[in-house]
Amino acid sequence: MREPFDFTAGTRDGGSTFSGTAKGARVACEAGCVRALSFSDTGNAEGPVVFAGYGIVVPEGQSFAYDSYATLDVKDKIVLVLRYFPEDAEAKTKQVLARYADLRYKAMAARQHGAKAMIVVTGPRSPNAGELAPMTFDTAIAGSGIVAVTINGATADKMFAAAGKRLEDVQKSLDDANPHAAGFAMPDVTAAVHADVVREKKTGHNVVAYLPATDALTTTAKPWVAIGAHYDHLGHGEAGNTLASKDDAGKVHAGADDNASGAAAVLSIAATLAKEKRHRNVLVGLWSGEELGLIGSIAFATAPPVPVDQIAAYLNFDMVGRMQDNKLTVQATGTSPMWAKIVEQANVAAGFDLAVQEDPYQPTDVATFNSAGIPCLSFFTGTHADYHKPSDTPDKIDYEDLDRVAAFAAAILRRVENTPEPPQFTKVEQQLQSGGGRAGVRVFTGTIPDYSSEAKGLLLGGVVGGGPAEQAGLQKGDIIVEIAGQTIANIYDYTYALDVLKIGQPAKVVYLRGGVRRETMLTPGARK
Amino acid sequence: MRVLRSVSIAFVLVAPLASQSAYQERDFLTRVRRLTVEGRRAGEGYWSPDGSRVVFQSEREPGNPFYQIYVLDLMSGDTKRISPGIGKTTCAFFRPGTDEIEFASTHADPKSKQYQEDELAFRASGKERRYAWDYDPEMDIYAYSEKTGALKRLTEARGYDAEGSYSPDGQWIVFTSMRDAYNRQLSEKEKKQLDTDPSYFAEIYIMRADGSGQRRLTTVAGYDGGPFFTPDGKQIVWRRFDESGLIANVWMMNPDGSDQRQITDFGSMSWAPYMHPSGQYIIFASNKLGFENFELFMVDKDGKKEPVRVTYTDGFDGLPVPSPDGKTLAWTSSRAGGSGGQIFLAQWNHEKAMEALKNAPPKKPAGKS
Ligand SMILES: [Zn+2]
Ligand SMILES: [Zn+2]
Repeated sequence: MREPFDFTAGTRDGGSTFSGTAKGARVACEAGCVRALSFSDTGNAEGPVVFAGYGIVVPEGQSFAYDSYATLDVKDKIVLVLRYFPEDAEAKTKQVLARYADLRYKAMAARQHGAKAMIVVTGPRSPNAGELAPMTFDTAIAGSGIVAVTINGATADKMFAAAGKRLEDVQKSLDDANPHAAGFAMPDVTAAVHADVVREKKTGHNVVAYLPATDALTTTAKPWVAIGAHYDHLGHGEAGNTLASKDDAGKVHAGADDNASGAAAVLSIAATLAKEKRHRNVLVGLWSGEELGLIGSIAFATAPPVPVDQIAAYLNFDMVGRMQDNKLTVQATGTSPMWAKIVEQANVAAGFDLAVQEDPYQPTDVATFNSAGIPCLSFFTGTHADYHKPSDTPDKIDYEDLDRVAAFAAAILRRVENTPEPPQFTKVEQQLQSGGGRAGVRVFTGTIPDYSSEAKGLLLGGVVGGGPAEQAGLQKGDIIVEIAGQTIANIYDYTYALDVLKIGQPAKVVYLRGGVRRETMLTPGARK
Repeated sequence: MRVLRSVSIAFVLVAPLASQSAYQERDFLTRVRRLTVEGRRAGEGYWSPDGSRVVFQSEREPGNPFYQIYVLDLMSGDTKRISPGIGKTTCAFFRPGTDEIEFASTHADPKSKQYQEDELAFRASGKERRYAWDYDPEMDIYAYSEKTGALKRLTEARGYDAEGSYSPDGQWIVFTSMRDAYNRQLSEKEKKQLDTDPSYFAEIYIMRADGSGQRRLTTVAGYDGGPFFTPDGKQIVWRRFDESGLIANVWMMNPDGSDQRQITDFGSMSWAPYMHPSGQYIIFASNKLGFENFELFMVDKDGKKEPVRVTYTDGFDGLPVPSPDGKTLAWTSSRAGGSGGQIFLAQWNHEKAMEALKNAPPKKPAGKS
């Protein structure tokens, strides 16, 4: 059964405009000087302009106070803010500020202070100086309730000139993150903003089937079990999460491992179970839109053909075709106290060198089923150099071990399927302490983390060819334990540490290779 | 627990030896697989004489934070607890030719339940202690009958009695006891020693499989422990610590305690020795590469050559036990990460092991390397 769902496939600017006055004179805006932000409302705003610094509000309870609006009245005015966060702040301060520097979060702060619109400019002292912020694609899209645009540096300069200031000086005065350095009203400056965001709606399709129980237990609670895998991939790499090299850009991304392998495992298990006695109905799902942010599985869980509280367990397969050294990662085992026992028993016959991760908050559809309160597992044979590249092709698949993974998962499913008592669900606390949203990582290091590892540090599953990590001599299997003086215990530490790296400035990286501690210097590049 | 004091089975990385061996882990161990998954930690997997089952210890039951003993069937994958579930247990071993399995347990101690609750409360407080074995003086050796489920107590002496293993004919048990600390008048120095480290008093003993005829085999100060019979039943292999408790080596002797001789002189903690069924070499664990970095090594039966390194993976590797046919190795490792060790199995390449031992350089006395 094809189950359609609608989603936002992308956003584009439908012709936003900006015009300003400075001391009565018109501020010209050349073609390409303005662009809507992807979460902007479509609409118009006109009024006096207040410069609100970086536009960051750190909520109470953090180690220090920082509120760009503390001394400003922006009600019914248009706020002009700098992109990113204070450039010269101490590393610790930066880490906190970075969490509240996401443009969506800045827009929320502006709206809450009563502003009519937010204008963003990339300061001359920041990376990508003077450039428009990109219209980043964000599938969790919803209007932010405010008109929000980005203008280029030249246009902003004219407005500051009217106020008798230079933007560079103004930015510098804010860049040490002194909480008392504030923005100011720009009395002689007005702006008229028209934001036009076109959201492209498309329809995706999940494919769902089921095998009815042949020997339903009359007393069975939760009469369903489910298996699934996403069957979408990156097409020609349009959606932005491609890792193709420049030479390969635009080519078909075959997605043999990600995730034809998972879809094949699901079909193979379904074919096996079709020939057997079944005590529960088996729902077989192939999800679309995973690469765009799990939107297919979320659509399924939002309007499920079978009530989710009737599903005893869900098994997910994402990248199961590239086994190395007999290693298989089983994720989300923390979702039920039963899993460790069942996985142990099934692996006695299957014989994998298992890595077990309790965490269900994985970047794959298993996260959706965890959120729905269903005991779930996800199978993963690890990342590799062809991940999200056109070179993820069928000739590199390890078919024999793919069969073993399917047989192993089928054995686990049988245990659940024929046990009257369904596995109990346990909620696993999410490790990441989420702030108001994070500014997108803006440095590029060219590292590919291995998400299957629970080693202390960041285990590299690979490095991007020609990227900074490769140039620094890092390679697959290295474990990064320190970067720029910050110790790294896990992937979250690593992403936060990236916030303090400076583009073009070498940072010391301490890593372990074969148990030996080594050091190198890595020079991050810019991520646009 | 055939383990030494305060050894942390943790994920620790230390610089390896400067000299590189011509061999890698995959020369000896292939098709590595993880046997245990459930619970915080599992270890000490010992094979049934027909190789179809493994008995091991694991912390895996919500109400008890200590090891209990489980038997895992390698055909069905089913696991069954055979110990009482109360208190601490350790060091199980199948008795050849019978339905009996011996292990050590504290369940007879009326305070053992309280200890469980104390430990659970301690963990609930969010603290984590470094893994340390406390040589509970209430630990005694029992034989469990798989047919009847009955437990027969084999030792009574005050002091830790554990680390038992049967002779290949099933008639004898060789074990470790700290009874020497309790059955005589201690000097002031010894009393202090007992407070800080009771394992100093550990010696090797032997008894009949029914617990009768208990006899002491070693008399040297420092922890003598972890004894096993060789496959022909004619020798006992064990590890002996020096008085400092920092250096241990592999030793062998006759079952009557005669002809005690040192096999390794490795200048590190070399422990958990177990002879391969071929009778040609002993596999053991050593922290030669750094204080908390245990790896598996092997040494020829006469100790004429330098030991050969077997494992090369980050984390703890120890407690090696070859299967009765010599083709599979079970051992305890923290290579999968997490807080404790788990049991792993791998195919063992006996031919490669023999070749590597043949090519090994002659033994260098420790300290003169
Ligand atoms: Zn995928
Ligand atoms: Zn993907």
